[in-house]
Amino acid sequence: MKALPFILAAVAVVLLVRFGLRRKGRGRSSPLAGLARGLRGGRLLGDTGLVAGREIRERLRGRLFRVVTLILFGVVTVAVVIPTIHTGTITRQKVGVVAGSPALDEELQELATAVGLQVELLREPDLSVARAALSADSLNMVVDGGGSILVQNPISDTDTSAGARYVRAVATTLGAQQAFDQAGLTPEQAAAVAEAKPWPVESVHPGKKATTTEEATALIGIVLIFIILTQYLTWTLMGVMEEKASRVVEVLLATVRPVQLLAGKVVGIGVVALLQAVSLVAFALVLAKVVGSNLVHGAAPLVVAATLVWLVLGYAFYSWLYAAAGSLAERQDQVQSLALPLSAPLILGYIVSLTGVSSGNASDLVKVLAYLPPTAPFAMPTLVGFGEATWWQFLLSVVVSVACTVLVALVAARVYRTAVLRTGGRVRLRDLALTSTK
Amino acid sequence: MTDLLEFDGLSRRFGTVTALDDLSFSVPSGQVVGFLGPNGAGKTTTMRAVFGLTDLDAGSVRWNGVPVGATQRRRFGYMPEERGLYPNMLVADELEYLGRLHGMDTRSAAIATKQWLERLDVANRSTSKVETLSHGNQQRVQLAAALVHDPEMLVLDEPLSGLDPTGIDAIGEVLVEQARAGRCVLFSSHQLDLVEDLCGSVAIIDRGRLVARGTVDELATSGARRLAVRVEGDRQGSWAQGISGVTVSQIDGGEVRLVLDDSTDSDVVLDAARSAGRVTEFVFERRRLSEVFREAVGR
Repeated sequence: MKALPFILAAVAVVLLVRFGLRRKGRGRSSPLAGLARGLRGGRLLGDTGLVAGREIRERLRGRLFRVVTLILFGVVTVAVVIPTIHTGTITRQKVGVVAGSPALDEELQELATAVGLQVELLREPDLSVARAALSADSLNMVVDGGGSILVQNPISDTDTSAGARYVRAVATTLGAQQAFDQAGLTPEQAAAVAEAKPWPVESVHPGKKATTTEEATALIGIVLIFIILTQYLTWTLMGVMEEKASRVVEVLLATVRPVQLLAGKVVGIGVVALLQAVSLVAFALVLAKVVGSNLVHGAAPLVVAATLVWLVLGYAFYSWLYAAAGSLAERQDQVQSLALPLSAPLILGYIVSLTGVSSGNASDLVKVLAYLPPTAPFAMPTLVGFGEATWWQFLLSVVVSVACTVLVALVAARVYRTAVLRTGGRVRLRDLALTSTK
Repeated sequence: MTDLLEFDGLSRRFGTVTALDDLSFSVPSGQVVGFLGPNGAGKTTTMRAVFGLTDLDAGSVRWNGVPVGATQRRRFGYMPEERGLYPNMLVADELEYLGRLHGMDTRSAAIATKQWLERLDVANRSTSKVETLSHGNQQRVQLAAALVHDPEMLVLDEPLSGLDPTGIDAIGEVLVEQARAGRCVLFSSHQLDLVEDLCGSVAIIDRGRLVARGTVDELATSGARRLAVRVEGDRQGSWAQGISGVTVSQIDGGEVRLVLDDSTDSDVVLDAARSAGRVTEFVFERRRLSEVFREAVGR
């Protein structure tokens, strides 16, 4: 039921957009209808908007998009829900107490908190009733104040689940307390012994610390960025190549300027990519809230926002390069040889960042790569996940990336303009530099 | 006012190859102008120059006296030699999209798309993907793409190649109709008989230069006059030998084909034929366009 407000909000948005579109036909107008009309007609950005609009319509209609989107939603569902299934089984332990006392209840609650468990203590009249309830799955364990503990199945020494740790803690602590009582210790002496702390153990080599929620979110984020960038950059590359191969580019360039056609394609495919990413993230957040995942706690939403920002910046940087590369080729095999060198920095940034998150430490390499536009889309969200990026470092990296994207776009537009109308084999950059062959 | 497309001194070199060499001619509205030349003569480069698809080393293309730019091109229609449509798009969507790129609003583009698909007899394929259409139907859709925005001028590079007679008739009819409606229509073709039937005038280029320009009638009747004469009972054509200013080019089954010098009066020939017997044939021959073409390009 927690999902109800989100579902209602989503339905409301859909209805508003549909309402806006319908009103268009009746000669009325509203800001929403105007926006919808602009988006649909693609006139918001002139010819570039028209080209982008076609890309969006055709991509959304394609079977490939639907299949990939479904798969991604499935992956996100699994990534969010699976961890909570594990934690979900240990948060609702029902503990039957026979011959209990307020002191025993307090002790049991304290131990539960210590191992990260929530327990519900239920008074049982006698051990046989409690045993029957345990057998019938109504209880997870039974603590007999007389000095015994009942569980459903034997617990192995290697079981590190919260439930198993709780059973071991209860058994050890209550056994020790019984021993203190029998030894005749005063409550103060017993408390002093019970609170004895082990001597600290220090290792000379730093060990792997536990993964935080932010790091886990960053991990999911960089995998998402990699999948989406790979998919949509390939679309850009193939899209430009196909326009050249089918010669439709000649018809288009008879009325549209090359830079408009190029920008329209980059923006159109980018909008589809962003729509998919935002819907995936929104779905993940709603799902996380519904199933009680840690994804929405602490600084994790900040990491999610950083992921989306770098998805946009990463696409913006690479899309121009991929589009320019597509204009050099007119066959599938030519495209593959062009895609390989372009994807190398992408894969480098991804692998190094992924390794950093997995090892629990942001290496110096990640800290350097976070400022280089080709690798920053992976490295900077990783630093944010580790909490090792200040706002000005984040901003600096964004500025560097945007500046480089502008330069790359200028060069790409020049390459595209010259290469896209040259047919009869793969165009080499050297040829473009030497002559204007259009 | 009639529209006029002018090519003025176009020059273009690709490395060591001269594609256009100071090419100049104009295309008036109201008639279909055939653009002829052997392979590699520069026809496609000239047509691409209209749309800014090739850079020029010198010269300019003008529309009604104004250098052609993006604003003018929006009102032109283009059918390139190597056809170009998105293979995966639906036919109607593709035409509407191209109409919108030429400045039409959504509604007008949809209406024009419907009309042209009906006019070209492919309305039943409007919701099919372009790639599923036959070659002939794709050609029709390509022509519709050039026409959907009601252009003032049409440039069509080999629009009739690979079509069956029905397709040729359908597309040819549209071209003539467009010219009669006052549009400029320039189209290239190697099918000279068709050009002769469809065109009011032709421009012939070779090695990037203009080698002939005029109406079909002018070109067919230009140059030395040709006569075909038949005299009853003289199958050898001996009567024609020795007439001053007259060359016998062919004798075939009693029909004598003669080429007259500029100064020679045809009555002299008629008198010579009558004196040899009863004249059963005396015809001034028009040159076929193919003859004009071969003569113009010297091959």
